[in-house]
Amino acid sequence: MKVTVDARGLACPEPVLLAKKAIEENDEVTVIVDDEIALENIRRLASKTACGFSVTEKEGGVREIALVRTEATGQHPVDSGAITAELSCAVVPKKEMGAVVVILSDNRMGRGDDVLGDILIRSFVHTLLQLKPLPVTIICYNAGVKLAVKASPVLDDLRQLAQAGVDILVCGTCVNYFELGDQIAEGRISNMYDIAETMAGAVRLLRP
Amino acid sequence: MREPQEFIVFLFPSVSYVLKAEKILKEQGIVHKLIPVPRHISSDCGVCLRVAVGQQERVAGVLQGRVDWERTVFL
Repeated sequence: MKVTVDARGLACPEPVLLAKKAIEENDEVTVIVDDEIALENIRRLASKTACGFSVTEKEGGVREIALVRTEATGQHPVDSGAITAELSCAVVPKKEMGAVVVILSDNRMGRGDDVLGDILIRSFVHTLLQLKPLPVTIICYNAGVKLAVKASPVLDDLRQLAQAGVDILVCGTCVNYFELGDQIAEGRISNMYDIAETMAGAVRLLRP
Repeated sequence: MREPQEFIVFLFPSVSYVLKAEKILKEQGIVHKLIPVPRHISSDCGVCLRVAVGQQERVAGVLQGRVDWERTVFL
């Protein structure tokens, strides 16, 4: 028998469990998925249970996976518990793995001594250029917005980071508070919605 | 975008020397940059002053007798 399982929009591990059940009861199964994690989990299922596996890319990130039973399929039964135990249900898609967001919440690094803190932040921002991969976003808020002004000692580095594709968000409220509206020389003025969303979406936050 | 250029770094015995030297370079209007000491030079958590190679003599001249530096390294 041949069946189709539409697993679009289902949360991990639902798609792979549906796929597993279907291929146990049918010879050919088409599973429709719309996320990377489901695809990878079903790929693993196929390899574990020795099913034929092929993927067809459709529009909008949708994929049709064809699972076909072979003679070897099911010879080494795998129970659902074992499958789910090995599943990766990470929320973060692969391409964003390691996405680093840097928080510049002050124009100095660390507490204790302002002169030292000034040296450290200059050193820190310069060193960001050498990180691999580069941070995806740098967020400047509170006194951190002073690092994005014309006279900033790290302006040159921020500029190079921006040119390398790093998105630099500068807190609008803070710019307004410090009356630096006409002096911001790098980054784009942003708001708390973007700032909170970016922070929430980060894999790691770096806060010097 | 700035033209690619060659740099040289001035290394000092301590951070306070770097600060003193930087103050002098600022007064003299010499373009410079305070950067972490590159890893291949030292693994210490230090800072140094980077200037364009062409500025080396001028920097040495203004620092002479005011701030001692340890050595210079081409980047």
